[in-house]
Amino acid sequence: MAILHKLIKKLTYKQLILFTALLFCFIGSVLFVFHNHSFYERPIVEVTETSIIDTTETVDNHNNEDILYTQIIIAEIKNGKEQGQSIKLMNEYSTSQAYTQEYQVGNELFIKFDENESSNSSLVGTIQEVKRDKYILLVAWLFVLILLIVGKRQGLFSIISLAINVLLISYALDVYIHTSGTSLLWICGISVVLFTIISLLLVNGRNEKTYAAIVATLLGSFLSLLITFLVMKLTSENGLRYEEMGFLTRPPHVVFMAGLFIGSLGAVMDVAITMSSSIFTLFEKNNHIATDALKKSGMEIGKDIMGTMTNILFFAYVSGSIPSLILYLKNGSPLSYTFSINLSLELTRALAGGIGIVITIPIGLYCALFFVNRKKANL
Amino acid sequence: MNTIVALALILLILMVLVGGRKGAKSFIAIFLNFAVLIVTIFIMLDPSADPIILTIFASTLISCITLFYINDVNSTTKTAFLSTVITIVILLALITFLTETTMIQGFSEEEIGELYIFSFYIGIDFVKIVAAMIIMSTIGAITDMAIAIASPMREIHYHHPTISRKELYRSGVSIGRDILGTNTNTLFFAFFGGYLALLIWFKDLSYTFGEIINSKVFSEEMITIMCAGIGIAIIIPITSGITAYALVRSGDN
Repeated sequence: MAILHKLIKKLTYKQLILFTALLFCFIGSVLFVFHNHSFYERPIVEVTETSIIDTTETVDNHNNEDILYTQIIIAEIKNGKEQGQSIKLMNEYSTSQAYTQEYQVGNELFIKFDENESSNSSLVGTIQEVKRDKYILLVAWLFVLILLIVGKRQGLFSIISLAINVLLISYALDVYIHTSGTSLLWICGISVVLFTIISLLLVNGRNEKTYAAIVATLLGSFLSLLITFLVMKLTSENGLRYEEMGFLTRPPHVVFMAGLFIGSLGAVMDVAITMSSSIFTLFEKNNHIATDALKKSGMEIGKDIMGTMTNILFFAYVSGSIPSLILYLKNGSPLSYTFSINLSLELTRALAGGIGIVITIPIGLYCALFFVNRKKANL
Repeated sequence: MNTIVALALILLILMVLVGGRKGAKSFIAIFLNFAVLIVTIFIMLDPSADPIILTIFASTLISCITLFYINDVNSTTKTAFLSTVITIVILLALITFLTETTMIQGFSEEEIGELYIFSFYIGIDFVKIVAAMIIMSTIGAITDMAIAIASPMREIHYHHPTISRKELYRSGVSIGRDILGTNTNTLFFAFFGGYLALLIWFKDLSYTFGEIINSKVFSEEMITIMCAGIGIAIIIPITSGITAYALVRSGDN
């Protein structure tokens, strides 16, 4: 208790309010999400009993061995007019769980009632989905808490900037979907400008450093998009396979270009702000530093960040294909086919992002120099 | 000419123009990392190989390439390397646990459409494959964070050799905080770009909020983003601690 008392004493009034508000939000949201069954229209059940009635070993056409289980599940209905009744469900799953999954006592599931041909009393249903909202909420809280504990103020700002960007992207897509005839690329272009201004102002505050970074980010990302676009046109998109892009309700080409545009933005922003803060720091330490010296140091810094930055994008994009690569290869698909269909778009994204990162280094440098020289002239 | 080859050539030329020798090295490093990734996937095809252990090996190798090949082997890169490996192991444990409880492994209903010709009974544990995928997508950012904290800490120690371990740790954490925002942004936007098609899909097919939040594919992407953020955050105290410990101890001798 003494430690707790000391800790509370150390906190400022503002922090205390923030912590209390957070605690209430946390408790409130968790209570809600664990008791929100009545808000769903789809029936939800909680598994109370499971038993495996059948086990079969399978070997598919490509000699992959797996074991199939058939599970009988007894569950209690949590909402709707059948609330409280028990229901019997069937589930088939394999050890690999590549598509199917095993359910355990305590899991909550969305189901669909099967029409009962005879009027016997026991209910039967089909499993549709797992109720994941409570887990997502808990993970989100873990994320928020860790970012706040480690990052304090900056952690809070990155959470706010993430939230704003998510809302903005969602709104931009709504506009795109509900107004026919607007081009996705235009909408993304406008969003990119907004994303850049909001994120950089939030992370760095209002000062010349930020303005230089905003200009550099916009120039860098539009130029890299232009380069990628020209290359794609000139090579007539030879080698790009849109078939496996997935989730397509719109022309794949446009969706891909828009995704590529937004995807490299974070990295380009990172490079731009790194370049401009280091140039400004050097200038603030020594107001009379020669432009050539600034240029040289700036290029050195650029060289240092280039490799790791391109790596970040590369892994963020290419790793997403791991599960489908494994599925394809395990099903005996030819190597070159598997790679071109699963990796061509990801590699293009990563390379385009890399181009954006590298050209932003000199652009960021010269933008910062421009603002520094203007400041110098005013001295 | 193939679009990918053309883009790769442009990237190579730009990297050499801007970065000289170091630029060329960075380009080769991407190539080597790609090779490591592909070889790892091939070993994963063997059902008796544990994907988690393979991922730890692969991540170690990838951070070796990124840290020791592009930069040099010195006390900064060594501490950055150690911090990266520790963070990956912690994060991997968290991700495996989360994947299991949230049941996000494997392919979703939405993805299954195009894949119906395939057999899904392939005998490889997809809980572990998804964990491997999530950790691999953040490995670049984690390594970047480690080196970005460790190298200015060494500079600080060099300029103030009498600094105490605690003070050095604090300055490391404060450097980390300053880059936390931009680094999380880098990953968030990269993931948004990749998920754009999915977001449009949800909106076009008018999924309700409840359907989106409970769906496997959305949960998987949310957990990827959150875990990436958690990874970037926890490496800050880890790197600061290890670097402070290594530098101040060696300074005492």
